[in-house]
Amino acid sequence: MRSPVFAKTCWSFPRKRARLALVVLITVVTVVTSSSTLAAIKKVSTKKPAPKASKKSVRKATVTTKATTSAPPTTPAPVTTAVPAPTPTPTVPSPARGGTLVAAISQDPGQLNPAITTAGAVHSASELMYNGLVEIDENGKLVPELAESWTVSSGDYTFKLRKGVTWHDGKPFTSADVKYTFEDPLPKFHARARASLLDAVKVIETPDPLTVIFRFYKPYSAFLQQLNVTEAPILPAHLYAGTDASRNPYNLKPVGTGPFVFDSYKPGAELRLKANTNYFKAGLPYLDGVVLRVIPDAGNQLIALEAGEVDFLYGVNGADLSRVKANKSLSTLETLSNPGGSNCIMSMSFNLEKPIFADQRTRQGILQGLDRKQFLDRILFGQGKVASAPIASGIPFAYAKDLKIPGFDKVAAARLLDEAGWKQVGSGTRTAQSVSGVRDGTPLRFRFLSFPTFALYGQLIKAQLGEIGVDVQLETADNAPFADRVFVRRDFDTNVISYCNGTDPEIGVRRMYDSAQIGPVAFSNSSAYRNANVTKLFEDASTSSSVSFRSSIYRKIQEILVEDLPYIWLVETTGTRVFRSTCSGFSESGHFAEAASCKK
Amino acid sequence: MRYAVRRLGFAVPTAAAVVTLSFALIHLAPGDPALALAGDGGDATYYAVTRSRFGLDRPILTQFFSYLSRLIRGDLGTSYLQGRPVLSLIAERIPETLLLTGTALVLSTLIGIAAAAYSASRRNGMGDVVVTTLSVLIVATPTFWIGQIAILWLALRFGWFPVQGMTNAREVKTGFAAFLDVAHHLVLPVMILAAQEVGSVTRLLRSGLIDELESAHVLMARSKGLPERSVLLRHALKRPLLPVLAVIGGRLGQLLSGTVIVEILFGWPGVGRLLLSAMQNRDIPVVLGIFLMTSLTVVAANLVIDLLSARIDPRIGQAKLAS
Repeated sequence: MRSPVFAKTCWSFPRKRARLALVVLITVVTVVTSSSTLAAIKKVSTKKPAPKASKKSVRKATVTTKATTSAPPTTPAPVTTAVPAPTPTPTVPSPARGGTLVAAISQDPGQLNPAITTAGAVHSASELMYNGLVEIDENGKLVPELAESWTVSSGDYTFKLRKGVTWHDGKPFTSADVKYTFEDPLPKFHARARASLLDAVKVIETPDPLTVIFRFYKPYSAFLQQLNVTEAPILPAHLYAGTDASRNPYNLKPVGTGPFVFDSYKPGAELRLKANTNYFKAGLPYLDGVVLRVIPDAGNQLIALEAGEVDFLYGVNGADLSRVKANKSLSTLETLSNPGGSNCIMSMSFNLEKPIFADQRTRQGILQGLDRKQFLDRILFGQGKVASAPIASGIPFAYAKDLKIPGFDKVAAARLLDEAGWKQVGSGTRTAQSVSGVRDGTPLRFRFLSFPTFALYGQLIKAQLGEIGVDVQLETADNAPFADRVFVRRDFDTNVISYCNGTDPEIGVRRMYDSAQIGPVAFSNSSAYRNANVTKLFEDASTSSSVSFRSSIYRKIQEILVEDLPYIWLVETTGTRVFRSTCSGFSESGHFAEAASCKK
Repeated sequence: MRYAVRRLGFAVPTAAAVVTLSFALIHLAPGDPALALAGDGGDATYYAVTRSRFGLDRPILTQFFSYLSRLIRGDLGTSYLQGRPVLSLIAERIPETLLLTGTALVLSTLIGIAAAAYSASRRNGMGDVVVTTLSVLIVATPTFWIGQIAILWLALRFGWFPVQGMTNAREVKTGFAAFLDVAHHLVLPVMILAAQEVGSVTRLLRSGLIDELESAHVLMARSKGLPERSVLLRHALKRPLLPVLAVIGGRLGQLLSGTVIVEILFGWPGVGRLLLSAMQNRDIPVVLGIFLMTSLTVVAANLVIDLLSARIDPRIGQAKLAS
């Protein structure tokens, strides 16, 4: 037995040195560990099986086509009949059958009924189990889904429903389901459907089980764009009618018509789906099942993919993109739709109720002081493109292709600000000299509000505008307080919002510029832009069913907007789906795995 | 006994204060649940309908008293976001949370005590130097960093453990295989969570033990010729364990509230993540429910620890009673 006293005398001398040595040793180990981490990942990735190089280029080609072709008319001319019952065209000639795909989702859905919410978490988890009347394909074209064909005449829409479709519980799908969904859950709980349809639809008639007629108060041109599984998923009336749809127990064990059938759901952990063997699109799906796994951290999603625990990611951090592209066992699909919406433009709003932004020259000066290419390179790592018009390029019939938004030009920017009365002495902050509504000597200083996730936009704007004597002060706020400050209290100077244009300007563009849509609604007209002419043009476009007429009106609107500059359209963002190269056939829509397959 | 009754008497007003305070705080915080729920869409009438659906259009005091009256009947309300009773939302996450935090607590306590006893009995020896240095380092390193490094090396590089989740996503296992599957997924998060606690328990107990080992009653025990193990564990350990008990008491509150960082890092379906998403979405009933449950656990845990301390050292109970 050794006594503590002995131990003390024996070890007291080397103790300090030993401890010091140990600390140094551990520090070195730590530093080495963390710095070689990236190297470790690369090594692991290269160990993985050989690549399928061709797939990536095929994918990219699809996307490019989408961005550049001026697509076929999206909204049909007065009378249109779609081709009945198309056979789906998978990207791979003979897809492998079977297997389970594990996909990562960032947020727990909580409940699984997409008709009662617009929450991205619920939609990305549940859309595989449901269908809309119409699907919108990669090129923005309408494709029959639950509706086999449709006709439009004098503002009324008549849909012929697909025969022989059954719900996952075996009951037949009929026009009563459509009527119920559009009369009860959608206008009550689905915020976007409510805003666009509640006051527009006069009556829904169901002359027989396979026919539905929507009658509108006045012609509504964007209706067909709002019928996909994201905007209007159809619920089974036999399980929902007469209940409070927001608290129906089937919200946790959904019964839909979609390609996959509910199997089990463990909140916070995972949702398991099995293939619908009775799916109305013959031969689909190829997979036996899909597991949607909740992994909150984007970095860890990628690690889980690299470690082989998951097969598919909805997105990836821009900074990790080069690591993904270098990994031969992974493929990517660049898409214009993000989990939050499609065709999104990061837009900086000017609070036009503030006198410092009243002069157009001030706004254009700020625009020309910004090198928007840098936002694409430094923040998005190339995922997207510099915005070239107020309407996103993903809505080809409305996008003003060859419009010129004044570009980066520091000299022009300085001149415009000078002309507007913001004078600079040396390299200091500009101050007002006879700017109307602003006291002389007031510095050109404003606040910039963003979500914490978009804080980098603020930093870049601050740095770039600093060079032309504009002082930007950065603020961040989470979603709920952000909406409160910007749209209810209007307590902000500038901000950045990802405005998703959706599939039609009626859905996601008009709200930004319509003077009737200034507060208190979240993500409406943030700048408080008032232009009676623009508001009227939007109204004209919404009640016309001629695509070429609408195109010309949207063109006119965009020309006015680029002149007025109520916003600065920074960058169009895209999402990057990442998946194992042995898998293919993913689509951009909510039915991403409908035609997907994985080689063993 | 009298001490126990008095301590219990304190617990009731504490809980009441917690309810009032959390209710006030969450309603003072900016952000409207109706706006959060509508997200990227909705209009003024949607907000109005939503507010009246949840009773948010009534005066705040009315809301408070109706919340209280439901609370007394054991009803925590319904989640705005999910349309389900808050009680079942929390309850379905409790087993997973307890599995993670409980395992970590037990492990860290046992390892911490063992490490402290080892290190104090070899004071200034090489083993002691290693233990104390390591424990300082662990306490000083942020959890998320250790966690990331552990994932990158132990999971991705060596493939010893899974990166995320509680079960294998590819196949659903049953019986003993399911138990092993969960245990395998549990190792990394528990290690990360326990590491911090081991560090603080070790440091606290070691210094107490060192003083104690030089005290008269330990000398007495040694002079009786008792084996060193018995001297250490039966005679010396008892008193320095008291402050450690207090530290563990503080940790007990986390047992049910979960640990957000580790849960996010490993995709563990615990209460911590439920709380985080409820806060981001202004899901007031869920946030209040979790606050309430957590604070009641802390109150209860402190009560138990106080009573336990009074039992180990009767002077504690008497001194508090006298004051």
